[in-house]
Amino acid sequence: MSAVDTSTPSAVLPKAVPLTPGRVSWQREALALVVGFALLALLPLVITDSYSRHVLIMIFIYGVVASNWDLSLGYGGVFNFGHLALFGIGVYAYSLLTKLAEMNPWIALVVSGLIAVVAAVAVTVPILRLKGIYIILVTFGFAQLVMQVILSQSDYTGGTQGIVRIPTVTWFDHNMVRDAKFAYFYIALAMLGASTVFLRALVRSRTGISIVALRDNEEYAVSRGISLARQRLITLAASAFFTGIAGAFYAAYQRNASIEVFGMSLATIILSMVLLGGTSTIYGAIIASFVLTVFSESMADFGAWRPIITALLIIVVMLVYPSGIMGMLKSASRWMTRSRNG
Amino acid sequence: MGGTADILFGGLFQGSLYAMMAVGLALVWTTIGVFNFSHGVFMMLGAYFAWQLVTWGLPPFLAFPLSVLAMAGMGWVLQASVVRPLIGRSNLVLVVVITTLAAGSLIENGALEVWGPRSKQIPPLVSGNVMLGSIGVSLHQIAIILVTPLALGALWLFLNRTRLGLALRAVAQNEDASRLVGLNVTMLYGLSFGIAAALAALAGIFLGGYRFMSPVMGVDPLLKALIVVVFGGISSISGPIYAAYLIGFFEAIASYYFGLYWTPALLFAALILTLMVKPEGLFTPNRSRGLA
Repeated sequence: MSAVDTSTPSAVLPKAVPLTPGRVSWQREALALVVGFALLALLPLVITDSYSRHVLIMIFIYGVVASNWDLSLGYGGVFNFGHLALFGIGVYAYSLLTKLAEMNPWIALVVSGLIAVVAAVAVTVPILRLKGIYIILVTFGFAQLVMQVILSQSDYTGGTQGIVRIPTVTWFDHNMVRDAKFAYFYIALAMLGASTVFLRALVRSRTGISIVALRDNEEYAVSRGISLARQRLITLAASAFFTGIAGAFYAAYQRNASIEVFGMSLATIILSMVLLGGTSTIYGAIIASFVLTVFSESMADFGAWRPIITALLIIVVMLVYPSGIMGMLKSASRWMTRSRNG
Repeated sequence: MGGTADILFGGLFQGSLYAMMAVGLALVWTTIGVFNFSHGVFMMLGAYFAWQLVTWGLPPFLAFPLSVLAMAGMGWVLQASVVRPLIGRSNLVLVVVITTLAAGSLIENGALEVWGPRSKQIPPLVSGNVMLGSIGVSLHQIAIILVTPLALGALWLFLNRTRLGLALRAVAQNEDASRLVGLNVTMLYGLSFGIAAALAALAGIFLGGYRFMSPVMGVDPLLKALIVVVFGGISSISGPIYAAYLIGFFEAIASYYFGLYWTPALLFAALILTLMVKPEGLFTPNRSRGLA
């Protein structure tokens, strides 16, 4: 018998995830993150009008939803088409908690995130044994039925009318309305920051790597002792928390809740952010939410042509550049290093 | 007694519409292995085409088949532009979901530009009403209940009794082997999309005959068709058909006894229960893929 205990696999495997070639060390990534978010935090000094700040706030909200979807869709390979339902559940949970239960809005934000997690677990149980297209169908059915239930329970949810005059978050006696969205900007940015750190830490951890292993080679990963059911539950639950909070914040920010959050058009836009950005990157989805939202806003005068042009753009990028914006950036940086090295 | 007639009629009617939509989804899935999220758009476009032709003065018995044919062509074109170039990609299913969703949004907004948001209606297949026991129903609805099994029966005959249909089933069962024996797989892909689009167009013409049309009229039926294939399984053609009528009757019964208010929640509960017991769908045969 050797001195090393080989009875459990964890004893023979190194504790830390080894640094593979091409993988950025966590110190460098953390530094880049801090610099990036510090720059974003300075934006309100330059951008002072409330319309531009509103666009940025929407980018942050979409960025949270899209990057969390990237966790389940990209890293997990789980085609969760109920992701927007988790966002919608956040919207309605916050609205009902603050309006009917008169809960403190800040607590309601967090509780909405937790409710979204519970919903995610509920939808994951039936898909634990399913693959591919069946996951799409079941999660899609889940989203539609959540919407139908909200529509039919109009006594509480307002049905197609939605809910109006939802209590918003407050910051001591700061005036949230007359500051040209200054406070909302920082709340949204803080939410995006917390969500991004959480997601990146998760995908870099051993749990994150086991999730990718399951996606890439399920049989081998399972034979090495990774539990498919447990990791799938973790993936979906983790992707739900900030999505639910984003929904709750969206309700607090817009001050109304409408059934449209379950609609196909929002789902299409967010999904195209995930795919245009390039899956399994987290950052790609956030960058794409910036690009796509600014692109869409710049065509505000085009009326019905706006969705037509957006749809064309999505199709063309998917046909021509399937790895998305992050793929473009990566090949650009590879090209630059190659030309620098001669 | 009125209740029984209500349930029977409502179930058959809704079931017919669901079946027409769901079969197309299943056909495309079994042959190409992708999911067409622009399926609802064919339904809408089929109805608008028919309306346009009738407005131009064509009699309905000419306008309706013409519109169905036009949609078959449209399905082919859509397949060739946003599905076929992607075949072979590792994340095919996911990418096709987004390209068909985008194509659907494009066509939907295009229709809005061309025909405007104003609601339209096309003439019914058969006009007039009839008393069925104690409830009055339109002959149009009865025609739908009768035409649907005919259309689905024709599809069955095509898939089982013609060389082309057999070729389509061969592709569904084993694509590589089909290629080896000289079948034109690319053409068959287009064909399955075309047939699916034609069936959706027929459903659209049915719906446009008794309800007002709008550019988003295809969204709801597509979602219902999705729920139908969750229930019935998607790996066969017959599974979704049984499931369509089952859900039609389920909704009719639930809304009669519990009211519209609770029907979606009951359907939800039934769906979850089904998935816990038989996640691959109620009517899925043991083979993984293939038409039956």
